[in-house]
Amino acid sequence: MSKKFKVAIKRQDDPNGASRWERFEIENEKGMNITTALQRIAASPVTIDGKQSTPVAYDACCLEEVCGACSMLVNGSVRQACTALANTLLENKPDEITLEPMSKFPVVRDLVVDRSKMFNSLSRVHAWVPVDGYSDRGAGPRISQHQQEDSYPLTTCMTCGCCVESCPQFHPESDFIGPAAISQAVLFNEHPIGSFEADKRLEILTGNGGIADCGNAQNCVKVCPKNIPLTRSIAKAGRSATVFAIKQFFEK
Amino acid sequence: MASESSPSSQGGHHFLLRRLHSLAGILPVGVFLVVHLTVNSTINFGGEAFQTQVDRIHDLEPFLLPVEIVGIFLPLLFHAVLGFQIWFSGRPNVGAYKYGGNLRYTFQRVTGGVAFVFILYHLWHMHWLGESLGGARFDPHDAAATAALAMKESLFGVPLNLLYAVGVLACVYHLANGLWTSLITWGITVGPSSQRTSGYVCAVFGVVLGIVGLSSVRGFKTYEGAEVTVQHTDAEQHGDTEQHGDAGQHGDAGHVSASQTSSQDLQRED
Ligand code: HEM
Ligand code: HEM
Ligand code: SF4
Ligand code: SF4
Ligand code: FES
Repeated sequence: MSKKFKVAIKRQDDPNGASRWERFEIENEKGMNITTALQRIAASPVTIDGKQSTPVAYDACCLEEVCGACSMLVNGSVRQACTALANTLLENKPDEITLEPMSKFPVVRDLVVDRSKMFNSLSRVHAWVPVDGYSDRGAGPRISQHQQEDSYPLTTCMTCGCCVESCPQFHPESDFIGPAAISQAVLFNEHPIGSFEADKRLEILTGNGGIADCGNAQNCVKVCPKNIPLTRSIAKAGRSATVFAIKQFFEK
Repeated sequence: MASESSPSSQGGHHFLLRRLHSLAGILPVGVFLVVHLTVNSTINFGGEAFQTQVDRIHDLEPFLLPVEIVGIFLPLLFHAVLGFQIWFSGRPNVGAYKYGGNLRYTFQRVTGGVAFVFILYHLWHMHWLGESLGGARFDPHDAAATAALAMKESLFGVPLNLLYAVGVLACVYHLANGLWTSLITWGITVGPSSQRTSGYVCAVFGVVLGIVGLSSVRGFKTYEGAEVTVQHTDAEQHGDTEQHGDAGQHGDAGHVSASQTSSQDLQRED
C-alpha cells in the first residue's frame, strides 16, 4: 500500500504573477484524497528535484463535498479535491496527478481562486426570498410535496463553480451568469414567496448574459457534484423566458 | 469581472436576437433546406421529374429573386453572422470534457462554419448570382443536364460530388442538432427524458434528410440524360475524366459531346 505517487501542481504566487509547474512525490495512504495530499505537501514542501518550496495554497472546508470550496482541475477536469481519491485517479492515470486552479476565475494564489463572479450572478438574479419588515405575517403558503421534491435538489447547490468551469459559454470575457445562477433563479421563481419577484428574475434571465447565452452543451449537468438537474432548470428558464418575452411584448 | 453593467455587443436586444437566430435557423432556412434537398432528390426519378420541380420554382419569376432574398438569403445571412458571433463568444473545451453533449455543441459550430463556406461556394457554382464571377453552372431551363454536369466537375482535384456530400451532411447535421437544441432553447423539451426522446426523433430526421441529400448528389453525379460539350481548360479538371456508368460518356477525355443541351453556360470558357 505504501507506494509513492507524483503530483504536478500549477502554482502562482499572486493574482498577477506568472504560473509555473512544481512536482512533488508523496507517500500514498489508505483512502487518501487530494486535500490530504495537499496537507502532506504542506508538511514538507520539497519538490521532486529536492528543491525547498512553499506550502501550496488551496481552499477546503467541509471535506465532504457540501461546501464547494475545494473545486479545482484534477487531471484537467474540474471536481472537488476532497472527494477525489488518489487511488482512483492513479488507476486511470498512474504516472502522476495534475492539479490546477479553475480556469474561469481569477487566481488568488496557487489553487485558490476568486469565485465572486458566481456570487455576483446570484445577486443579479435575486437568488433569495424577499422577506421585508419585522411584523409577523403568519404562516407562509404551503408547498406541495411534489414541488418540494422538485426544489430540494436545486437547494443543494454549493456554488462550487464546477458547472461554470466546464461550461464553454462561461469564461472571463463572457457576461453569462452561468447554469448555477439560472438554476437558483428557477428555484426561487417556483417558491411561493420567491415568485413575487419572478418577473424581476425573468428580466435578468432575458437580458444580457442571461439564458440566451447557454449553448446547450450540457457539460454543467455532467460535472455537477451534487447531481443538480441543471439542464432541466435551463430548459424551464427557457420556457418561462419565452412566455415572459411574449407577455412583455404585448403588455408594453 | 462581469457585473450588471458589463458591456455587451448586442445592447438590450440580446435575448430577442438569439431567439430570432434560432427561429431563422428553423423557419426559413431549415424549411428551405428540407424542401431544397427533397426537390433535388427528384433527379432520381429522371431529368423530367427534376425539371418539373425546377419549373414550379421558377414559375415565381419575376418574384423569384425577391422571394429568395427575403425568404432565404437575408435570414441565412442573419443566422450566419450571429452564428459566427455566438461561435466565437464561447470557448469550446471538448478536449477536457468529452461528453456527447459537448461534442454536439462543438460540432454544431463546426458544421455551421462548413455550411457557410459550402453555401458561398455553392451559390457561386450553381446559382446565376455566380455568373459574373465565372460560376453559375446551372441553367433552370435545362435543369437536370446542367446540374449533373456541374456535379461532375472537380475542385483542386477533388471531385465535386464529394465536396457536395460533405456540405450536405454538414447542413443536415446542423439542422437536425439545431432542431434538438431549439426545443430546449424555447423550453419545449424540459426534462432529460423528453430531451432524449426528441434526440431520437431529430436523429431519425437527420438520417432521413441525409439520405435524401446524398441521394441527390449521387443522382446528379450518375445522371446520364445528357452528353454535353464542355471544354475543360482548367488545369485541375484534366484529371476529372471519370466515366460514369456505361452509357454515353466514352469520348475523349477533354470533350464530351453535346446532344440535349442548349445552355449558354456550358460553352463558356472558364
Ligand atoms: C444535393 C446537393 C445540392 C444540389 C444538387 C443543389 C442544387 C442547387 C441548384 C441547382 C440551385 C440553383 C437553383 C436556381 O437557380 O433555381 C441551388 C440553389 C441554392 N442552394 Fe443548393 N443544392 C444542393 C445542396 C444545398 C445545400 C446543402 C444547401 C444548404 C442550405 C443549399 C443551399 C442553396 C441556396 C441557399 C440556394 C439559392 C436559393 C435558391 O436558388 O433557391 N443547397 N442549389
Ligand atoms: C451559414 C453558416 C451558419 C452558421 C455560422 C451557423 C451557426 C450556428 C450556431 C453557432 C448555432 C448555435 C446557437 C446556439 O446553440 O445558441 C446555430 C444554431 C442553429 N442553426 Fe445555424 N449556422 C449556419 C447555418 C445554418 C443553416 C444553413 C441552417 C439550416 C439548415 C441552420 C440552422 C440552425 C438551427 C435550427 C439552430 C438551432 C437554434 C437553437 O438552438 O435555438 N444554421 N447555428
Ligand atoms: S450547480 Fe452544481 S456544479 Fe454548479 S455550483 Fe452548484 S453545486 Fe456546483
Ligand atoms: S448547457 Fe448551457 S449552461 Fe450548461 S454547460 Fe452547456 S452552455 Fe453551459
Ligand atoms: S471541502 Fe467542501 S466541498 Fe470539498
